[in-house]
Amino acid sequence: MRSWTTSQRLWFYRGLTLLATAILVHLLVVWATPRLIMNRLMNGPAAQAMAMRNQAAFPPAVDASARRVVMPSPDLLYSVCVFDVSAGPVRVRANPGLPSYWSIALYAANSDNFFVLNDRQAGAKPVDLWLVSEGPNPRDPAVPPGARVVVSPSAQGFLLMRVLTADYEAEKAVVEPARRTLQCSPGGA
Amino acid sequence: MATHLAPKRWRRLAVAVLLYLGAVSLGAGSAWWVLRQANWSGSMVKVGPWAGSTLAGSTDADMYTRAKVALEGLLALGRDETMYYMARQDNAGRPLRSDCSYRVEGLPPPARWWSITAYAEDFFLFDAPNRQYSLNGSTARLDARGRFALVTGHRAVDALHWLPTPGQRGLVLTLRLYNPAPELQAAPARLQPPSIQAIGACP
Repeated sequence: MRSWTTSQRLWFYRGLTLLATAILVHLLVVWATPRLIMNRLMNGPAAQAMAMRNQAAFPPAVDASARRVVMPSPDLLYSVCVFDVSAGPVRVRANPGLPSYWSIALYAANSDNFFVLNDRQAGAKPVDLWLVSEGPNPRDPAVPPGARVVVSPSAQGFLLMRVLTADYEAEKAVVEPARRTLQCSPGGA
Repeated sequence: MATHLAPKRWRRLAVAVLLYLGAVSLGAGSAWWVLRQANWSGSMVKVGPWAGSTLAGSTDADMYTRAKVALEGLLALGRDETMYYMARQDNAGRPLRSDCSYRVEGLPPPARWWSITAYAEDFFLFDAPNRQYSLNGSTARLDARGRFALVTGHRAVDALHWLPTPGQRGLVLTLRLYNPAPELQAAPARLQPPSIQAIGACP
């Protein structure tokens, strides 16, 4: 059997390198896409302008000018907070007291929805959650005994509160104060 | 010490760089194609013209589903909380367009609350003149058979609920089901899909 010439060997290795590089780049792009999008959502210019790090922010009702996040629902009133548990727990409180649907959802830095609580699950009690990081954190102040603790899979994440409003203008007087009960504060402050 | 590479070595270096750039382009391009163009995914369920991912928002999502959802439905909820179905084609399989008129009709889906929203192909709302972006469980009027109906397009049709879709663009309809019935959560393909029929000729 004829052995390969130097040139053939060179092209074989070039081809192999090309294939391996293409596969690696493909996987990297797919893996990084949700992380980059979330990073822009949490740390981009719009997030900076809204000052929502460990602090609740209340964007206006959705209309055609809402272009930060794809597929905004015009039937929901959104409230947001970027939580960062790297320096200690973040406490989330809310008491919308609405008879219609609302929910508080938590998203990890890779975009996974790792926790959600809706009005039916909350019942009549106000929401009081302590978000903590995975593993022990010596800087954590003591989380009160009996507090509802949610472990965040990432140091930074996104909180999205949805309040159903089929007709915002008509329901504004009720849903605006309800959503503004959301508090997102570091270290239980 | 030689300060210049021989022409043959320059050629080899140029070929290597070109091949490397080609590989990077191939990898990035194939990722873009899979995430933006390909209609298949292991977690997709197709019901009539509607399709939804069973793993949207889920921590069990594979990396392709996670990336696709981030591009087309960032901050989705898991299906025990909300189910999403999207339609990009009518019942005849033709791509939806904002400059065509469609009648969307069906039974209210089994969920605590539901909505159908019209988006442009970039997944943002149309600049609808009357802020009529969606039909939902609160605003839908049901006929004697318990069915709802809406129309999309440039003009209202009859007395149907109208979702204006100005411009000449692609159209995506999204059906959201909040707190869907457990039977549907368990078997998303059992949705009775609203029909999407073109009205008249499409330019």
